[in-house]
Amino acid sequence: MPRTSRFEGRLLIAPLTAFLIALLGFPLVLDLVYSISRVGFENIRAPELIGFSNYAKAIADPEFWAAAWFSLRFGLIVAVIQMVAGLALAVFLAPLFARRPWLIALLMLPMMVAPALVGLMYRLILHEFVGAVPYYLLEWYGDFPAFLGRDWAFTTLVTVETLQWTPFALLILHSSYAAISPDVREAAALDGARGRRLFLHIDLPLMLPALGLTFFIRFIDSFRVFDNLYTLVGPGAGGSTTSMSIYIYQAFFKVGDIGLAVAASMLLLAASFAVLWAINRLTARKAPL
Amino acid sequence: MTRLKTLLTSAALFAAMGATAAMAEVTVLGWPGGPEEAGLRKAADAYNATATDADKVKLIFFNRDGFFDKLAADLAAGSTDFDVNLIATYALGRYAPFMDPITLPDAAKATFPEKVLATMQYDGKQYGIPTDLSLHFMYYRSDLIDKLMSDADWKAKYGEISEKYLGKKLEPKDPDAWTWDDWMATALFFTKSINSDSPTRYGTVLQMKNLLFNMMVWHSAARAQGGDWMNEAGEITVDSPAYRTALDIYKKLYDEGTSPKDSTTYEFAEANAAFGAGQAATMLQWNAAFGDLDNKDKTPAVAGKIGTVAPPAGPAGRFTHIHGLGLGINKASTHKEGAVKFLNWLATPEAMETYAKAGGSPALSDEVVQKVAAERPDLVKLGQYAGAYGFVMHGGTAAKALQVYELQAKEFTAYWSGDKSLDDALAAAKAGMADLLKP
Repeated sequence: MPRTSRFEGRLLIAPLTAFLIALLGFPLVLDLVYSISRVGFENIRAPELIGFSNYAKAIADPEFWAAAWFSLRFGLIVAVIQMVAGLALAVFLAPLFARRPWLIALLMLPMMVAPALVGLMYRLILHEFVGAVPYYLLEWYGDFPAFLGRDWAFTTLVTVETLQWTPFALLILHSSYAAISPDVREAAALDGARGRRLFLHIDLPLMLPALGLTFFIRFIDSFRVFDNLYTLVGPGAGGSTTSMSIYIYQAFFKVGDIGLAVAASMLLLAASFAVLWAINRLTARKAPL
Repeated sequence: MTRLKTLLTSAALFAAMGATAAMAEVTVLGWPGGPEEAGLRKAADAYNATATDADKVKLIFFNRDGFFDKLAADLAAGSTDFDVNLIATYALGRYAPFMDPITLPDAAKATFPEKVLATMQYDGKQYGIPTDLSLHFMYYRSDLIDKLMSDADWKAKYGEISEKYLGKKLEPKDPDAWTWDDWMATALFFTKSINSDSPTRYGTVLQMKNLLFNMMVWHSAARAQGGDWMNEAGEITVDSPAYRTALDIYKKLYDEGTSPKDSTTYEFAEANAAFGAGQAATMLQWNAAFGDLDNKDKTPAVAGKIGTVAPPAGPAGRFTHIHGLGLGINKASTHKEGAVKFLNWLATPEAMETYAKAGGSPALSDEVVQKVAAERPDLVKLGQYAGAYGFVMHGGTAAKALQVYELQAKEFTAYWSGDKSLDDALAAAKAGMADLLKP
């Protein structure tokens, strides 16, 4: 590349770089400082450097690992269910979408609601004395489960998250399914492929990148679940529904141990970076195929 | 022309507001968005009507979300944006290092009961004037209790149920004479799954969500058994038999089905919904719930049929947790003289009368409360109960009191929900409290 072009390139990218440094770099540096400091609201402007003990405290805290396990389990289960449900809807409703595309907009509506409001909404819907679901279950079957109690809370949370975000998976997978060339399907049909065989050997392989992307986005989003979980059940009895985000929030705002909260979030950042790097490597290896 | 007049009027209004702000020397940071704000606004207007320009007060309000964290950060940073600020009993120790203690004016002792003034004390010093008080009532359905007290069949069944579930035959009593056993027996009796004749589905509704405010409600039971956070020597005493008994009262009531299944996710609003639906016969709840529950438009199922008494008695006596909101002086204030004048005025019966009539909930002495009793009958009971039964746990105003409540909420809800044994929950609470409350 000629030297002038390189200079112009750097010049053009400079504002974006400055923007990223200001908006991402500064908070990151500040977080790094806080994570190795004894800092609370009282000395937030004058943190006391203490080394890596906040990291050690987080790693030694069983509640940190319980929260990490909760988020991982929740993220994986929800992402898989949403991906499968989104795929099924995209395939089965494809003929309907082709004739009435406005239906897609209708199905996207749950995504338009703020997650915190979704949590509040289900808190009402599932409440024994004001909610419709327990009311009708009691009318029809004479009993109902404690939807937000210890035994059912996780299932309820997975259901609520799935109901709200499956439309996102549907949107991506519908686009991917619709983008498969009719020529490919026609050629496969000429070779005798029909129905399930056509789907498993033609459609599904072509949709794999979109499926991977859907899973990945939904996993990230569900792993960091906070709003709807917090408004629906909070940290739960004995901390049983404490996700990583709630763990960090509580350490920061409730306990006032800002150093621990930031150290935990930095560990989460490192783990996320490692996963991203691994996926990147995996994708790079697969690319030539 | 009309538009011009509107513009001129608006301009004059803005100018007047600006002039008021410019004249005001003392800035007061209050508790936003509720009856406390309405009360403080009226009180400030009354004070400004007679104060000199240099002593006038200006009010500012944060959002309620994260209020105490923002306040802590501002105080710690030495902010001079306000001279007088809100304080709460349970966060007093957190703010005390950044506030000036005050000397109570003589009027304060005539206006407030001694126990109410104590809700603003930390380390032997007074840090504020108590403007609002929260405590607990035992709410009950007066229509149902009246029948229980008079119906021979119900009385017999009550005796059978109490003997079966509590191991002793009890007789129905007036709620004002209840012990915790009497309350448990009443809750069991009015539970449909235990007594098919019960007109309510549940005998009570417990607030068992992992939330610090729910611990405050439950503490009234713990204190009545003789429980305290620590003894005079500063040793943590939450693993005492008193704490065990109080925890088991909730556990037994929940396990026997006297409270809704989802009670482990219930707090103020959910409990009110259950009681307000007419499906719970009793409820230990904050005094603030009474207004809405007794309102025929809002809760027609129970309005007019609600009785309130202080929480039941235990071996150590009868108690209700109390905490107050109040106003104190920012250590970094640049107008301390004016701030003291305002607080001294706020402690007078006249100021509190204005405050109460505008919606505030001060706990006032018998003499002062009579002046507002016609308009605010609820304040009569508030002052009486606070004076007679109010308590603050030993250490309840410490710098890390809020964290102690959080810790207990987590551990004790783990026991109630069956996640932890009683011994494990108490051991974890004791160890955590020892760390949080160490001198």
